[in-house]
Amino acid sequence: MPSGHIVVDGLSKVFPSQAGDITALDGIDISIDSQEFVSIVGPSGCGKSTLLRCIGGLIPPTDGEIRIGGDLVTEPDPRIGYVFQKAVLLPWRTVEDNVMLPFEIGGKPTDADRAAALDVLELVGLADYRRHRPGELSGGMQQRVSVARALVTNPSILLMDEPFGALDAQTRDTMNVELLRIWDESNTTIVFVTHDIGEAVFLSDRVLVMSARPGRIHDVIGVDIERPRSFEKVEGDETFWSLRQRIREELH
Amino acid sequence: MASIRRPAARGTTVPRFGLSEKRLGQVLFGASAAILILIWHLWASTNSPLISPTPGAVLQRLIEYVGAGRANQHVWITVQEIAFGFLLGGAIGIGFGVLAAEFDIARRVIMPYVIITQALPKFALAPILVIWFGFGQEPKIIIAALIAFFPLLENTFLGLTSAPAEMIELFKALRASRWTTLLKCRVPHAIPTIFSGLRVALMLALVGAVVAEYVGANKGLGAQIIVAQGTLDTELMYVAFVLLTLLGLALDKLHGLVYRLVMRRLYGKGAATAADQQPRVSV
Ligand SMILES: Nc1ncnc2c1ncn2[C@@H]1O[C@H](COP(=O)(O)OP(=O)(O)OP(=O)(O)O)[C@@H](O)[C@H]1O
Ligand SMILES: [Mg+2]
Repeated sequence: MPSGHIVVDGLSKVFPSQAGDITALDGIDISIDSQEFVSIVGPSGCGKSTLLRCIGGLIPPTDGEIRIGGDLVTEPDPRIGYVFQKAVLLPWRTVEDNVMLPFEIGGKPTDADRAAALDVLELVGLADYRRHRPGELSGGMQQRVSVARALVTNPSILLMDEPFGALDAQTRDTMNVELLRIWDESNTTIVFVTHDIGEAVFLSDRVLVMSARPGRIHDVIGVDIERPRSFEKVEGDETFWSLRQRIREELH
Repeated sequence: MASIRRPAARGTTVPRFGLSEKRLGQVLFGASAAILILIWHLWASTNSPLISPTPGAVLQRLIEYVGAGRANQHVWITVQEIAFGFLLGGAIGIGFGVLAAEFDIARRVIMPYVIITQALPKFALAPILVIWFGFGQEPKIIIAALIAFFPLLENTFLGLTSAPAEMIELFKALRASRWTTLLKCRVPHAIPTIFSGLRVALMLALVGAVVAEYVGANKGLGAQIIVAQGTLDTELMYVAFVLLTLLGLALDKLHGLVYRLVMRRLYGKGAATAADQQPRVSV
């Protein structure tokens, strides 16, 4: 089974709490193909981050199971690259050393690893900044470093939790185009959480619409827009607007 | 029309009276210090020199005292006590801080001792320590260590446990071991906090060493103060005060130097680091 294939089967997650248990996820079933681009949209608190954390093996499910490439997920999987909502860079490390972190944690970095780090920094357009500290970079640049750090190990799966949520519209557009290019070049499965419906439709093969309390998959919407996509092409596409409209209505 | 005046950010140079903020601060400091010294002089001149010598007399005596080499051994003794007390207390504080931060069980065992030793007035121990260890440097080092250790334990614990949750989650996602997470995440994150603990510990070690010398010593600046008290040599007392103050400033300066060096190393030259934002006495 391809290692980018994700199956979520009957997943529930309950957080025990003194004020009453919170059912964050309730009976989630999804199957994501290898090299597919899937977005998740849904109201705040519907369990998007929790779903990503479960897939990433950061927290255990209360019920149900997750398989990646056929293997049961019980702990973080080395085939996964994770982009958190915040950039989460180590301020005491240079950009390059931040991107090297996954290798350092895995053992002694090789010359090939260092070359890979330079490559991904090139890919996100930050090779010139490799000796700088995160504090000297803008928010958008920091986020791109965290994308580079997730990409550097060449993961089969990229889990991205509102990676561009904090960016201005223009930077976000640029990042979206870059992300599609990266996805195209790297054959990665991407699960992408966002609040921006347009972004979800623009990027994805399928959009999962979640509903809140308890978190469930409300609808799965296939995006039949030809690739490669560009803003000009997509914005002139009738399907894009009708899908946006449909998802917006489903969220209300 | 209402005019809104914004306070200038720290360290920026907003001209006032044709002077930069920094320069103006220096001028104002110099002027106020001169006034205070003048008041001291006037007050001392109208009183017996037994109550207080004049600034001029203290300066003269200081030059004499230092020039004759009499200061050397006392300063050296006190510096040694501070240094050993600081190192001993610091090492124990950092060590226990790491243990308490890493292991819940260690924290549960260590913390009651910490609270007890903190509740206990350390200086009250000085007489018994003199009985146990005599009039040498050991009781002073122990007192200095006892009070220097707490800010380091506290700051080490705080620094290590306050690494942001998302950083810890990142390390988990990268399958880092506990040891790797400590070394590559918690420790670097704790460095600034540990250094502010070191700064407090250094000053406390100085106080500890000097006060312990009061209780029973024949050498050291604290001992000199007691000797001066016995002979009603107020001038000598003032000289010791001045030397202790200079010593404190020098230690703080040294700390600042090491701190900046470490922060440069961690955060790079270009970044505006916490090192430069921390208020510091510069002479
Ligand atoms: N560690 C936790 N402990 C207790 N409850 C939690 C925890 N994490 C999440 N929850 C709860 O689970 C629910 C889903 O949270 P989650 O963070 O997954 O939402 P989300 O869809 O990502 O929201 P947002 O769009 O605002 O990021 C919320 O009701 C939240 O209170
Ligand atoms: Mg979230």
